[in-house]
Amino acid sequence: MLKGLDLSISRGEFLFVTGPSGAGKSTLLRMIFAAEKADQGRILFLGRDVGRLAADSVPYLRRNIGVVFQDFRLVEGWTVFQNVAVALEVLGVPGKIVRRRVGEALERVGLAGRGQDRALQLSGGEQQRVAVARAIVAEPALVLADEPTGNLDPQLAVDILGLFEEVHETGVTVLFATHDRSLLDIRPRRIVVLDEGRVTDVAQGLASEEAISKLRVA
Amino acid sequence: MIERALRAALADIKLHLLSVFSVAVAFVCLAATMLLSVNIDAVRQKWADSGRASVYLVPGVEMTTIDVVRKALLASKGVTRVEYVSPEQARAEVTDKSADEALSALPVEAFPASLEVSLSGQESQARVQTLRQKLEALPAVERVETYQAWGQRLDRLLSGGLTVGLLLLVVVLAAVVSVVGSTMRLALSRRAREVDVLKLVGATDSYVRGPFVVEGAVQGGLGALLSLAITGILFLVLRDSFDAALGTLLGGAPRFLPIFPCLGLILLGAGLGAMSSYASLRRLLGSGA
Repeated sequence: MLKGLDLSISRGEFLFVTGPSGAGKSTLLRMIFAAEKADQGRILFLGRDVGRLAADSVPYLRRNIGVVFQDFRLVEGWTVFQNVAVALEVLGVPGKIVRRRVGEALERVGLAGRGQDRALQLSGGEQQRVAVARAIVAEPALVLADEPTGNLDPQLAVDILGLFEEVHETGVTVLFATHDRSLLDIRPRRIVVLDEGRVTDVAQGLASEEAISKLRVA
Repeated sequence: MIERALRAALADIKLHLLSVFSVAVAFVCLAATMLLSVNIDAVRQKWADSGRASVYLVPGVEMTTIDVVRKALLASKGVTRVEYVSPEQARAEVTDKSADEALSALPVEAFPASLEVSLSGQESQARVQTLRQKLEALPAVERVETYQAWGQRLDRLLSGGLTVGLLLLVVVLAAVVSVVGSTMRLALSRRAREVDVLKLVGATDSYVRGPFVVEGAVQGGLGALLSLAITGILFLVLRDSFDAALGTLLGGAPRFLPIFPCLGLILLGAGLGAMSSYASLRRLLGSGA
């Protein structure tokens, strides 16, 4: 699905990955957090080849990466607090610190005081905020967002994008995969376009003539 | 780990109770089969270990002679008790247990006096034979009944019953393993998302596995314990109606499972629950994020 992809992402960068359905956006993200393996080539993250990691090392890679999915991936029977706290509990963080940091993360995503609500009781937008809180609570180096606005209405989608931008402002690298063109136009960001195996890297959004011509050539 | 297992149990208490009940239903069959086998074996042991003989005396033999024979018997190795039964007592025993008018009409003279001899230990059958030969040589003794043929028939019957019980136990055990495995697999499949999330946030396989295995062990153990309680209640209900008939026929009241088989059953439940959870998780972990 993905061929000839040569991509460098700097620490602290915000990058959109776009392209039509089936272009390989999710595959790229899944390969970065070692849920899939590339047949050939290397994926380097913090200097280590993700594809060559032993199975025992994969959990430690994932502790440095926060992931947000279109379907939220929350445990519905758990509370909001439990859904966020799980990312710290696997690290063995003491309970007192877990409570403080989960509280801070929920405040950042606009869900302060909702910790005891069941995930099932939340709206789609709120569930996605919980997923973002879970992704950032352990302060990972990289946040991967796989179509995180796919199940949300346009206004909520913009709000969620805003959340990721706030996360990015704290120095976290963000890879935001989406096929929603309207989100790409909100602010000029570096965009990687995947389409039928072709890869186009556009530095400052798709608004400029230069970008459009680059896409045509590719 | 315990805290996480407890939290998961409380989060979906209905599912956990359902799992415990399913395991309990399977274990009731196992406990009932064990109960049957234990009781058959107890009866077999009782009959195998207890030798009995009736020494019928010549009519008109004097009490002093009877007393001499009685003392001699009591001094013999393996004899635990010698009881004199007079013709009147023998008649009363027969007529009390039977409503047959023909038997009730029999005169006292139709019932010979006897000495009822009880023997104990593994050597009882051999002792009975030796005693029989010695006793039949005495002029005061008319005949000696050792019940050996009946004992052997009963022993064969009970041994066959015990073998069937043990075979049934193996079949039921296989069914229990299957039911417990399926129950744990179903319960875990409902929690696939939880495993997925744990893997996503960087949990190691052992971190994911720990609470699930604890939960499986607790569910299996509680299921087995519940099955013992159910079997116990059923046993108490049935015992009263069986007691009189079985007690008279087999020479002992039915008994419940001894403590060690009960503990073994609970440990088996816990072990099966833990192993089933472990095996089911291996599949889930293999297909996780």
